[in-house]
Amino acid sequence: MSHSPKAPALRMGIPIPNSKLGMWLFLGTEIMFFTAFIGSYIVLRLGSPGWPTDSKDTHINVLFGGVNTFVLIVSSYFVVVAHEAMAQKKYAKARSYLGLTLLLAFVFLGIKALEYKGKIDHDILPGRIPETATQAIAKADRQLEAIVRSRFSEYSAVGVVNANPGDILGLSTEIAGLPKANKPKDIDAGTFKLFQDRAPVDAKLYSEWLNLHQHVVANVSLSVPAVPADYLTARASLKEGEKFPELGIAEVQDYINKLKTNEQFGADVSKGVFELHPIVYGNIFASTYFLMTGFHAIHVIVGMILFAVVLMQKNLDGTWTDFVENSGLYWHFVDLVWIFLFPLLYIVKW
Amino acid sequence: MSHESHETHHVNYLGVFFVLCICTALSVAFDLLHFPAPVTIVLVLAVACAKAMCVMMFFMHLKFEGNWKFVLLAPTTILAIGLPLALFPDIGRSYYTNVAPQVTTWKDEVEAYNKSHHGEEHPEPTETPAGEKQGG
Repeated sequence: MSHSPKAPALRMGIPIPNSKLGMWLFLGTEIMFFTAFIGSYIVLRLGSPGWPTDSKDTHINVLFGGVNTFVLIVSSYFVVVAHEAMAQKKYAKARSYLGLTLLLAFVFLGIKALEYKGKIDHDILPGRIPETATQAIAKADRQLEAIVRSRFSEYSAVGVVNANPGDILGLSTEIAGLPKANKPKDIDAGTFKLFQDRAPVDAKLYSEWLNLHQHVVANVSLSVPAVPADYLTARASLKEGEKFPELGIAEVQDYINKLKTNEQFGADVSKGVFELHPIVYGNIFASTYFLMTGFHAIHVIVGMILFAVVLMQKNLDGTWTDFVENSGLYWHFVDLVWIFLFPLLYIVKW
Repeated sequence: MSHESHETHHVNYLGVFFVLCICTALSVAFDLLHFPAPVTIVLVLAVACAKAMCVMMFFMHLKFEGNWKFVLLAPTTILAIGLPLALFPDIGRSYYTNVAPQVTTWKDEVEAYNKSHHGEEHPEPTETPAGEKQGG
């Protein structure tokens, strides 16, 4: 039994390495993965009239997106050149280009981090965006309350007050009376004096928040006194069918702005209370934005790990050619996803 | 097997790279030119498709692969398109637009906000529009 030396070897299956077939099958699942996100985003956006597109609302920066697109294209080019160099057995050249690709991936993530920071600084985060004037007012109320509670917690931490840290009313009563209170035995005089001096400031901040809070709960304009007894007096003077003017977003914004100018607690209010800015469909925008760009960024990180594995090899040789090719296919796919995310997230406005 | 997969195809990668850069610049230019929204959408998505084709054909070498690429990618593509198509009638077309709180309950509030925000001055508290309802 002897075979003819010229007979072609019988081979079954697809004429590509198994690893490459595996990568393409994986990319097939990845196509479905990202299409689900992108498709859902398009469909949700089509069904939401008034989707936020103004950069003042979304803090989307086309320049950042454009630069990142360019960065990924350059990195894609470097990867393909690196693979070509591997095929030509120019391993040092391949290593250089893969190193540059890794560097560009860091640049991409750095720019992406800047974009995320811009959104986090303005609280453009899923579930945190007021979509109406009422929600914006309620958010300002909650944020001011958080500042009061934070400042009150400092009194509880050193033990100059005894009320339960969660009992804001009890704390406020104790703090208001602190300047005239006797020093507890276990607190040193300097610390007690410090808190005695700042107590009137925090009592004032509390009363300002309480005033706003009462108006928010009652939905009555800040021009009407908020003390319940005064309400009764004022209500008694109303004619039949008359009612107090309702609380408006502009007057709340003015109220907060005034608190921000206070010398003692203005800095805390400026830091902790955002501008009252309702964004219709802002939450679903933020959800889809972070979902898509977040998963894309995770894919970038995975690609960086693949390149790092190759770069860590002391002796890069032909056995790594398939690995570099498959990593390159993966990286091109990451680029491909961004090619669609860029116009859909940064440019398209309807 | 390995040899076949690493055949050189003499692709001008640098040329493809420049085409991709030009396309990206075009996308940004379309944004800056302020065409009507539908025109911009068609243009930037056409550019995106052209870029995607360049990447797939040349950088991912699909132009030089055998017919297996169709066998592998066609079902994926069909399934991928299926989800948006399935969602579109319920979400994309009607998304409870007529009853969405943003459209009904809060419409007046949003309009009042926009009016006060884009007007000359903030309205006096006593002049707050009646549409500013609580209860959202």
